[in-house]
Amino acid sequence: MTNTDKSPTIESVAPVETLSASTTRRGLIQSAAGLAAAGTVIGRVNVVRAAADNPVKIGFIEDESGNLSIYGIQKLHAAQLAVKEINEGFTLAGGPVGSGCLGTMGLYAPTSPTVTSGPGAALNIINDGGQPSDHAIVTADTQEILIPSGEKGLLGRPVNLLSSDGQSNNTLWQQLARRMIQQDKVDVLVAGFASAEREAIRPIVDQRKQLYFYTNQYEGGVADEYTFCTGAVCEQQVIPVMQYMVEKFGPKIFTIAANYNFGQLTAAWVRSFAPVLKAKVIGEEFPPLEVSEFSSVIAKVQAAKPDWVMTLLVGQNQSNYYPQAAAAGLHLPMASTVNMAQGYEHKRFTPPSLANMHNAVNYMQEIPTKRNQQFVARFYKMFPKDPYLGQMAQNTYFSIHLYAKAVRLAGTTDQTKVRRTLEAGWAIEAPEGSVFLEPATHHASHFIRLAACNDKNQISFVREWPMIEAWWLQRLGVNLVRHPEYKQYTPAEDPFFKMFG
Amino acid sequence: MGPELASILYQFGTNAAFLLLSALGLIVILGMMNIINLAHGEFMMLGAYAATFAVHRGIPFPLAVIVAFFATALFGIVLERLVIRRFYGRELGALVTTWGISLILAQGALLLFGPYMPSIPIPGGAVSAGAFSFSVYWLILIGISIALVVALTIVYRATSFGLQARATMQNPTMARSLGIRIGRIYMLTFGLGAGLAGLSGALLAPTTSIAPFMGQQFVAPAFITVVVGGGANVIAGAVGSSTFLALIETPVSLTLGTFYGTMALLVMALLIIRVLPAGISSLGGRLKLAAAR
Repeated sequence: MTNTDKSPTIESVAPVETLSASTTRRGLIQSAAGLAAAGTVIGRVNVVRAAADNPVKIGFIEDESGNLSIYGIQKLHAAQLAVKEINEGFTLAGGPVGSGCLGTMGLYAPTSPTVTSGPGAALNIINDGGQPSDHAIVTADTQEILIPSGEKGLLGRPVNLLSSDGQSNNTLWQQLARRMIQQDKVDVLVAGFASAEREAIRPIVDQRKQLYFYTNQYEGGVADEYTFCTGAVCEQQVIPVMQYMVEKFGPKIFTIAANYNFGQLTAAWVRSFAPVLKAKVIGEEFPPLEVSEFSSVIAKVQAAKPDWVMTLLVGQNQSNYYPQAAAAGLHLPMASTVNMAQGYEHKRFTPPSLANMHNAVNYMQEIPTKRNQQFVARFYKMFPKDPYLGQMAQNTYFSIHLYAKAVRLAGTTDQTKVRRTLEAGWAIEAPEGSVFLEPATHHASHFIRLAACNDKNQISFVREWPMIEAWWLQRLGVNLVRHPEYKQYTPAEDPFFKMFG
Repeated sequence: MGPELASILYQFGTNAAFLLLSALGLIVILGMMNIINLAHGEFMMLGAYAATFAVHRGIPFPLAVIVAFFATALFGIVLERLVIRRFYGRELGALVTTWGISLILAQGALLLFGPYMPSIPIPGGAVSAGAFSFSVYWLILIGISIALVVALTIVYRATSFGLQARATMQNPTMARSLGIRIGRIYMLTFGLGAGLAGLSGALLAPTTSIAPFMGQQFVAPAFITVVVGGGANVIAGAVGSSTFLALIETPVSLTLGTFYGTMALLVMALLIIRVLPAGISSLGGRLKLAAAR
C-alpha cells in the first residue's frame, strides 16, 4: 500500500464541535454561552438532558483481581480509552467495504505506484531476522487511524462503560452477566478472558439474545448467532508459528498446555496440524491452573528431547514455568499463542527466561508502525503507570470502536439491527493493521506477526502475514447469517486433519 | 547412581520442599495456635514483596530474605495486637477475619504496586546429569527447608520461649497462673508464624511471578500439609505429610502427567484425613498404644 501524504478520509470530515453535548452539569453551564450564541439554548439543553439520562450502555466484565487480573486490567483500560475517544468525537477509520487487507482505506496515490523490487533496488528487507532479501512487499503505514466521527458520543447520546470485576471466578461471571443483561439492560456486552469464562456466560447471552463481543485470542470454533469473536484463533496463530518452528528448529514437538478448554483444544490443534507439516507431537503435559511448581514437567521435557516446546500456559501460577525452566538449564526453543502478547512475561521475568520464545501475534505494543506508536502513546497518556498494552487490550479497543461505527450506521442501538449491521462486511483500521469482520462466521481476519524474543528479553518481528482469515469455520460451512447456531466446534469434528495423520 | 534416579530424587525433593515451605508459617499459626489463617498466602506474598523491594534496592538476596522475615513478623505482630487477639478461641470468627485480611492485603498490593513486580533472578545455575539438568537453587531450597524445620524444633523443644509457648497453647489459664505473660507469648508466636510465612515467600519468590495474588497458589498446599500432618506433633507431622505426599505425587506425575499427580496428592490427602482424622503425627501415639496393649 503506497502511502499518501494527506488522507482524504481525514480531510473530508470536518470537526463537528457545535453539536457537542457535555454530560455533566458543570459542563452544561460552561457551554451555555456557546449554545446561546447558536440561538437554540432551550431546545438544545432539553435534548442534552434527555441524552444524558439515556446513555448507550456498554456492559464490560473482566478479571480486575485474582489469578487472571494481569490480563483483565489492560483490557479494562483499553475499553476506557475507546469509550473516552467515542465520547470526545473520534472513531477508527474503516467501514463496511468488504475488503480486509491492504488498501482497505481506499486511498489514492499522489503519483502512480512503480515497481521497485528486483536486483539493484535497495530495499533493505531483512528476511526472518537474517539474510537481506529482495523479494518483499513494502507497506508504508503512517496514517493516523483515529479520525473525527462527526459527533461526540453515539447518536447524540453519551456512552457509558459499566464495568464489573469477574474476580477470576466463573460462578461470579454468570451472576454478573445476568445482572448486566437483565437489570442494567446493556446495549452490548464486551466480556471474557478465559474460555471457561466465555463458556460460562454464553448460554445466558444466547437465552437473552444479547449482542456479545468476545475479544480474546482463543482456541476457535465458536459459532454463535449472538457472539462476535474479534480475537485471533488457532488457524491464525498456531499454524503460522508451527510452520516457522518446524522449518527453523525441527519436527519433534512437546506441548505443555493449561488443563482447561483453551489449553486442551489448542493442543488438539497442534496435534492435528503437525502431520500437515510432517512434524510430530512426541509428548504432552496438561498442568492444572493451580500448579506453580514445574520440576516434573521440566524433567519430562528433558527426557523426551524435543526440537522445540509449545507452551500454552495461562495465569500467574503457570508463568512460573519460564524462570524455573531457565534455572533448571532447559534452553529449548519455545513457541506459544498466548505468552508475551498477553501476560508480558518478557517484561516481568529477568532475562534470559523468555529467550528463544516465538509467538504469532496479532498485536503487541512493540509493533513498530506509526499508527501503533500513536495508539500506544494515547494509551500511556491516559494510564501512565500501566506495565503493558497487550493483544487482548487492543482487540477490546477496536471492538468497541467497531460497535460504535455499526450503531452509527444502523441509526439505533436496537440489538438485532446492530447485529445485522455488523454482518455487513466491516473493515476497521486497528492499531495492528486492517481487520476484517467476516459476516458469516462472526470472526475477524488479522494482521499476524511472528514475534521472537532474544536472550535479553527483547522482541523483534521476524515474519509477517498482513492478512490471515479465520478460515476454519468457513471450511465447516458455518454461516450464521443464514443458519443460526450456538455451539463450539472442535478439530476432532473435522475429518480434514485425519487425512494427513 | 543413574541420571534417571537423580532426576526422580530431585523431583521428589523439590515437591516435598515446596509443600514444606508453603506450610512453614501455617505450622505455627494453625498447628500450634489453632487459628485458621486464610491470610497465610498473603503473608507469603508480603515476604516476597519485601524481598523483591530489598533486592531491587541493591541488597544481596540472602540478606533480603532475612529482611523479609523481620518485616513480615513485625506486620504479624501489629496485626495480632490490633485484630487477631480478639478472636482467640473463636475459630470461625478468626477464619472470616483472616479471609477479610487476605482480601484487603491482596487488593491493596494491586492498588499500591500494580499487577506485577519485576522478578528476582534465580540465584545459582544448573547442574546436569545425563539428559537431565537441575536448578542449583532448588537443591539449596531443599537444604534450607530441612534446616528451618530443625531450627523450629529447637526453638520449641530447647528454649524457654518454646516451653512457655507450648504451655500457653495447651492451657492458657494454668500458664497465666504460673506467671507466664500469655498475651506476649501469643503475640510473639503469631509474629513468628507470620515471619516464617514471609521467609518462605521470599525464598520461593525467585521461582515465581511476584504479583498481588501470588499467595493463593500456596494456600491449598499449606493447609493440606498441616492438616494431613495433624496436631499431635505439628512439626514432625508436617515433615511426615510433605514427605509422604511428595512420595505419592512424584511417581504419578512422572508416569501419568502433572494433572494426575495433583489429583493423586488430593485423593491421598482425603484418604489420610478419613483414616487418620488426627493426621499422620497421631500415628506415633497409636503405635505406642498398640505396643502397650
